[in-house]
Amino acid sequence: MIATILAEAPPVEAPRKAPRRDWTPINYDLRDTWFPVSHSRDVSERPIRRIIHAQAYFLWRQHGRPMAAEFRPDQLERLRPQASAFTGGSGLYPVVERYGYLWAWYGNPEHADARQIPHIPFLPLDGSLPGYTQRTVRFDATSALSVENLIDLTHADFLHANTIGDGISDSDVVEVEWTSETVTRTRTVTQKSVAPIMRWVGGVRARFQDFRAVLHVHLRSNVCVSYPRFRPGYDVPNLQPFLPVGKHRSRGDVTFNTTAAPAPFRYVMPRIAYVIQPQDNSVVRPQNATYFEPGERPDLHSRFDTPGTRYRFQMEQLAARQRRGEMAYGADADPERDISALLGMKD
Amino acid sequence: MNHPTSSTTWWACALSESVNDKKPLAVVCNGQALALFRNAAGVAFALEDRCPHRRVPLSLGTVKPGGLQCGYHGWTFDGASGACNAIPNLRDTERVPPRYGARAYPIAEAGGFVHVGLGEGRPADALPGAGYRPQGKEFTGSATVSAAHGEYLAAMLDGPECLLAFDGVRMTDFFLGDPRREGDRLVLERGAVWKSQMLPSNFVVDYPLMVRTAVALAGGAIQVDLLDADASPLVTVLMGASPNRRGTTSLCWRGFRHATRLPGAPLRWRGARALGKPPFEVFDQIQGAALAALLVAPSRELQAARAELALPVPVPASAAA
Repeated sequence: MIATILAEAPPVEAPRKAPRRDWTPINYDLRDTWFPVSHSRDVSERPIRRIIHAQAYFLWRQHGRPMAAEFRPDQLERLRPQASAFTGGSGLYPVVERYGYLWAWYGNPEHADARQIPHIPFLPLDGSLPGYTQRTVRFDATSALSVENLIDLTHADFLHANTIGDGISDSDVVEVEWTSETVTRTRTVTQKSVAPIMRWVGGVRARFQDFRAVLHVHLRSNVCVSYPRFRPGYDVPNLQPFLPVGKHRSRGDVTFNTTAAPAPFRYVMPRIAYVIQPQDNSVVRPQNATYFEPGERPDLHSRFDTPGTRYRFQMEQLAARQRRGEMAYGADADPERDISALLGMKD
Repeated sequence: MNHPTSSTTWWACALSESVNDKKPLAVVCNGQALALFRNAAGVAFALEDRCPHRRVPLSLGTVKPGGLQCGYHGWTFDGASGACNAIPNLRDTERVPPRYGARAYPIAEAGGFVHVGLGEGRPADALPGAGYRPQGKEFTGSATVSAAHGEYLAAMLDGPECLLAFDGVRMTDFFLGDPRREGDRLVLERGAVWKSQMLPSNFVVDYPLMVRTAVALAGGAIQVDLLDADASPLVTVLMGASPNRRGTTSLCWRGFRHATRLPGAPLRWRGARALGKPPFEVFDQIQGAALAALLVAPSRELQAARAELALPVPVPASAAA
């Protein structure tokens, strides 16, 4: 037994071909974009701290006016000489309040333009939605993996079967369209088993329902504008902005506009995040760590991954442009254009 | 850090009863993350604990008739070959590409252990658990301990009292000779005394007991026997030990008390035997100070033996000084 171990010299290995470069979601630090860095209601005169990538954002109100800075307000003057290029040396970030969020600029402040704040047709501009529509969730993964989780809804059939329902349906069609700055996924499912939350909380008594879900992703910020429609059932429009908090974590200050749905569904549905998020974290947490390991095996895909692979490709393209110093938005991009029709709201 | 072997080796990485046909078992064996499960017929399988779709651990999935189903998107993998045989929501006319699959590993069971073959090809060596034949009631367990694998093996030779204990017995550090090679193992005895003994062990003329530790040169199997003065076995423990993450070691063990009668044994020991109490304890918490205080002595032979076999030497940090 032992002799066989001794006997042979290791065979000469055939030269390995260079591994195909695979997607590495951990490395996307895309600039010149607005991030919905906080719900408006969470910002007061007492400063709070957020992180975008590795950059600190202190948020507070000064006489009601929203402020965002690299340093705490009581340290701003003293530390201003240490201010970074993100604030042009002023220590203050460009900030806009809209849709119930504080939007802070991440990038060259000279490029900040409020016209690049995404259009969110189902949120009032003044953010006047009841508090029950808003929640905060944290994901144990980089924001790009969190977006992938949302893009491929087939995972809900397994991971969230007890809330959103199983994958049994008559047909399931996934489509994708894109620009240089956005990816839009549309999933159309017919005669799907009614989601448990629709049945037991929403009062939908039918056995089956049709489901159409549009997800519009802004690549630089990973702001996800989502419009799922259930028939019979309700529309559950929601904003899920995956704020990148470094390479391992992301934060979502989400809004579910369920105000048109009946009670108790309108109150319960936003809270579904408390059930969904731990389920998602159970998979994305170990998943995230694997993308740091240089491996030879790229991920495999099925046709349901078409939107996800398109997202990966567009992110790579955008990152490559920014590495070349091309920070301007693509000619085909218009973040503030009306996407009501794209989301299917007018159908 | 795992220890690559120059050929394929069997590792005892789980107890047979820990692997079922409902939920996969996640283990790390020689640094390789694995998902172990059974089919309805009870046959065990080992797949890499990584779905090739999106890298989520397969151990978070569910055992299905077709194999192991990933808990994220439901891709299902055959246990024997690792081939992906189902992707949910595909139409009947669509097929899974034949190259899609997860890595499957050779697996075999013996002695109540699940063994996985790591390396290239199927292992040619004997299963570590093949020679284990319990008599009567068994005592089993598993743990992950905060000692690197190389240190754990070395401590088994230099000071096993840091790693396990026999009920009512004090192991001495008086080695009875130097470690010797027995096949693919390094074996060493040391004297032992009853804890109830009044005379300090240094003054005992002949030890009433011995502890024999046998450490495999490859694969991480460890056998520890409590022997009487005539070298008849009283208690046998067989352990599978393999490198886990962050400098820890995964353990699984089975042990039993032999039918050997020992007239001179303390009453307490005989009473514990009659009551069926565990005759040994494998520590799941290792005292760092005790481990650090161990002098490197017989374990030097382990390094030499592994070097002789052209196997990578898991050098204990203490020996490198």
